[in-house]
Amino acid sequence: MTGDPLVVADSLTRSFGAGATIVTAVADASFTVAVADRIALVGPSGSGKSTLLHLVAGLDRPTGGEISWPALGDREDLRPGQVGVAFQGPSLLPPLTVLENIELPLILARRLEEVVHAAAVDLIDAFGLSGLGDKLPEELSGGQSQRAAVARAFAGAPRLVLADEPTGQQDHATAERLIDAMLAIAKVDGTSLLIATHDRSIAERFETRWSMESGSLRTKELPCSA
Amino acid sequence: MLGLIWLRGLIGRRAGRLVGQSIGVALAVVLLASLGTFFTSSRAVMTRQAIAAIPVDWQVQVNASTTPARVLKTVQAAPGVSTALEVGYADVSAFSTRVAGTVRTTGGGKVLGLPADYATSFPGEIRYLVGARSGVLLAQQTAANLGAAVGSTVTIVRPGQPKATVTVDGIVDLPAADSLFQSIGLGPGAGPIAPPDNVMLLSTDAWRALFAATPSGAISTQVHVGLDHSLPADPGAAFVAVTGQAKNLEAALVGGGSVGDNLSARLGAARSDAVYAQLLFLFLGLPGVIIAGILTAAIASSGRERRRREQALLRVRGASPRQIVRLAAYEALLTGTIGSALGLIGASIAGWWAFGTARFGATGGQTLAWAAFSVAVGFGLSYLTVVLPAWRDSRSLTVRSAQVAIGTPRRPLWERLYLDIISLCTGGLIYWQAVRAGYQVVLAPEGVPTISVNYFTLLAPLLFWVGAALLTWRIGGWLLRHGRGAIAAVSRPFAHGLSGVVAASMSRQRQALARGLVLMALTASFALSVGIFNTTYANQSRVDAQLTNGADVAITTTASAGLPAGLADAVRQVPGVVAAQPMLHRFAYVGNDLQDLYGIDPGTIGLATTMSNAFFAGGNAQQVLRTLATTPNGVLVSEETVLDFQLHPGDTVRLRLQFTSDHAYHMVPFVYVGVAREFPTAPHDSFFVTNGAYVARATGSVSAQTLLIRTDASPPAVAASVRSLLGPASGATVQDIVTQERITLSGLTAIDLAGLTRLELAFALVLAAGASGLVLALGLAERRRTFAIAAALGAKRRQLGAFVWSEAAFVAIGGVMFGALAGWGIAQAIVKILTGVFDPPPEHLSAPWAYLGVFALATVVAVAVAGIGMLRATSRPGAEIIRDL
Repeated sequence: MTGDPLVVADSLTRSFGAGATIVTAVADASFTVAVADRIALVGPSGSGKSTLLHLVAGLDRPTGGEISWPALGDREDLRPGQVGVAFQGPSLLPPLTVLENIELPLILARRLEEVVHAAAVDLIDAFGLSGLGDKLPEELSGGQSQRAAVARAFAGAPRLVLADEPTGQQDHATAERLIDAMLAIAKVDGTSLLIATHDRSIAERFETRWSMESGSLRTKELPCSA
Repeated sequence: MLGLIWLRGLIGRRAGRLVGQSIGVALAVVLLASLGTFFTSSRAVMTRQAIAAIPVDWQVQVNASTTPARVLKTVQAAPGVSTALEVGYADVSAFSTRVAGTVRTTGGGKVLGLPADYATSFPGEIRYLVGARSGVLLAQQTAANLGAAVGSTVTIVRPGQPKATVTVDGIVDLPAADSLFQSIGLGPGAGPIAPPDNVMLLSTDAWRALFAATPSGAISTQVHVGLDHSLPADPGAAFVAVTGQAKNLEAALVGGGSVGDNLSARLGAARSDAVYAQLLFLFLGLPGVIIAGILTAAIASSGRERRRREQALLRVRGASPRQIVRLAAYEALLTGTIGSALGLIGASIAGWWAFGTARFGATGGQTLAWAAFSVAVGFGLSYLTVVLPAWRDSRSLTVRSAQVAIGTPRRPLWERLYLDIISLCTGGLIYWQAVRAGYQVVLAPEGVPTISVNYFTLLAPLLFWVGAALLTWRIGGWLLRHGRGAIAAVSRPFAHGLSGVVAASMSRQRQALARGLVLMALTASFALSVGIFNTTYANQSRVDAQLTNGADVAITTTASAGLPAGLADAVRQVPGVVAAQPMLHRFAYVGNDLQDLYGIDPGTIGLATTMSNAFFAGGNAQQVLRTLATTPNGVLVSEETVLDFQLHPGDTVRLRLQFTSDHAYHMVPFVYVGVAREFPTAPHDSFFVTNGAYVARATGSVSAQTLLIRTDASPPAVAASVRSLLGPASGATVQDIVTQERITLSGLTAIDLAGLTRLELAFALVLAAGASGLVLALGLAERRRTFAIAAALGAKRRQLGAFVWSEAAFVAIGGVMFGALAGWGIAQAIVKILTGVFDPPPEHLSAPWAYLGVFALATVVAVAVAGIGMLRATSRPGAEIIRDL
């Protein structure tokens, strides 16, 4: 149903360990991600941003509270196709080229071969990776790898893209161009965005800014720094 | 401190890798220490068996220049002598007896004079059958020839003296007649002399009384010697020791006596068996140890990329290359210790299971030495596979390049130099040269203390092995590099749309996959070559036993009258007998050569015994026997005789056979119709096979000397029934194939070959499981993060399976196929090179289909367990992996 929110979380909690050593990465977080949302999740390292993104992506299960994806189906249906994820660390598959890495989610979603290739080539161009399609991940710089991973998250025009520190390894100008590309493609495809960043200048490019501190999520609008 | 932290981290986070490496080390230690058990215990057992098989160690012939008493005194004083007894030998012209009014007379014979304690001093020499154990004892065959029994009066026809008459007190068998009546003092290479047909044993006093006045040429004296058997465990060393002792005695006798060294002769045969044991260790054992080493290296290298990245991180944090190598050494120490300890425990169990002993050597010293050696190899292996790559990386890699996992590999030096092709060609040349020249790998010349082993020839299978492994690597690498389309096409049925990505992924991981392929191929070739060797050996043992025995059960007699008339019909009534066919066994002169002649019914002989195609030139037994049947005076001749006498089919062969009418040899014409290479009960070198009816008609005697019996029950049980049918005094021998098979096995094979092959075959299964399952599992485990990312991108278990199963199938199926080809070729080379172990040499290899089935099953199960386990683990990535993304 088009009117349904993409993600609804109620008192979402994720803890690791047990007893005295228990660590709560996400505590009692309640939020909604609607269609066409552009959300930046800001917070220092270790505040729980990545864990929250993993929960939203359906890769991890909460230890408390509830999360659902009313407009996307159940947890099993999220990937590939509904939710694209760009991880914080190096996540390109080492034996595949940049082009093959970007094609992979489309192939997993059983898209037509010609569509797969054309879409991947478009994304390569859009994210400034022209000429790197045939390179292996180990032949790329950290920034190039990160851009390729973000491009892969957009493959197949998912309803929601989650990106964890997508500009962490980019210089400022490249980071700005990356965000430009993300926003532009999201607009064309109608994709919602939820990115985690500790860079406030990047966060300010997004309509909505949430903050996280020691596992606690504040969805109240953050003031712009400018 | 840093080492402890590192080890704690490894145990906590890389336990799988440590366990895998430890298992690899343990496998090498298990096999090496178990082989130590085989190697040392088999030699010791061979020596013990050689000693035990000799009733009289030395027979010292007293020469005419001295007296028996003087020789006896010298012998008794010689070092190592525990027993020395004087034995008199006298030649007699004949024995005769009167039975039911007719006089039976034998040919020439021997009368022995034995001291009272002879039988207790040399218990293997005389077997008492009927009657008293002292007095006048008649050999069983002589009693049968004379029709004499206990109480019979026998006349001894003495040369140059009047006849003497004695009364028989007992009937005995002389199991070691060949050595008892040997000619002492003949040079090496002199042919054996058949023992006399007619023998009588007397006490020393009675013998002296009868032959005191006999001319000196007709009597002789020997001193029979038993030695103190504290000899070296190795047959070769024992042979040298005993030979030296014998020469020392001959020197002390100063020409007064010659030593017939029965013990050295036996040890001489055992020492070549010991060398074959050494060769079997090299051919069948060492490859297993090497494969275990390669397996360990493969397990260690499956974590190498991660280790390189870890080391790169350490270097970034300021660790020096020396510190990094030291950390790798801690890891090697840990896996070496665990692996060696597990290996020694495993070797004890394996030794107990395969060889019946949990020790690794025949003595305490050997046990310690083999255990220490095996542990040293275990630690060496551990250091080689962990520390060496770390040391090399620390010297040659930059931090950046150490983080590179895939890369574009440069073609290795061996590939550019075509070492695989060169190895195969060189191995082929060595093999061709050896086979063409009809060489023997082990030469143990009679009377010579040293053994010559043609180690150069052993290079052939080694080079085949190396060449096949490298060629597999080359072809596997080439396929992965250039055959991406083919791999995609093959994997499409289960990879569907992912087949192109799967093929690309495999192509870029070709180094690791080609390594896995080679390891699997080596393991399969090892299993196949050991299995083929074992099966071929077992088959040849059965063929040998059947050839020697003639049939499931065979009755033979050397009595001129042959087997009793009507025996065949009586035997056919015995339960378990399917068929019984008589066979004439005569002797015939061709020129001056006396050869065995077998008279058969070609139409029915196959009912009682197997007529193998291999027995006849042309390879068609049915056709050859049909030709013989249709040519009443036809004869099948051995290849040697055909060559010696330049025979052509249709030629007339004039043989001289003994006629019943006058006991003289007369010419009988035969027509040469074919070549017989082997024949049941026939000797190896030369013999004739012809129609029994023609021989009977020509010689005037229908008597058969052999009855061949096919059974559908236990041959030993049928043999027992037949023995009771014949009765104790028949003089005929009844032998069954099961007992014969045990006897015909050489000392080497009777002891340990079964245990060795059992160990090797079991080991090959473990290696196969390790090479396929463990290596696959560890390789996949190292890429767990990659699979987790793929799962996070939406890959379902089936889609992840496309990657896992494609790689597994490439390694397992490809490896087994290459390994089967290589194994077959290597087995062919090993069997040919170790021909001396086989009797008769096999015409073709025998495949162990059941074992190969188990091998394939073990591989499939190991791959399936590894693959399914990995898919279960990665399709639902754990929290730890997710947090790592």
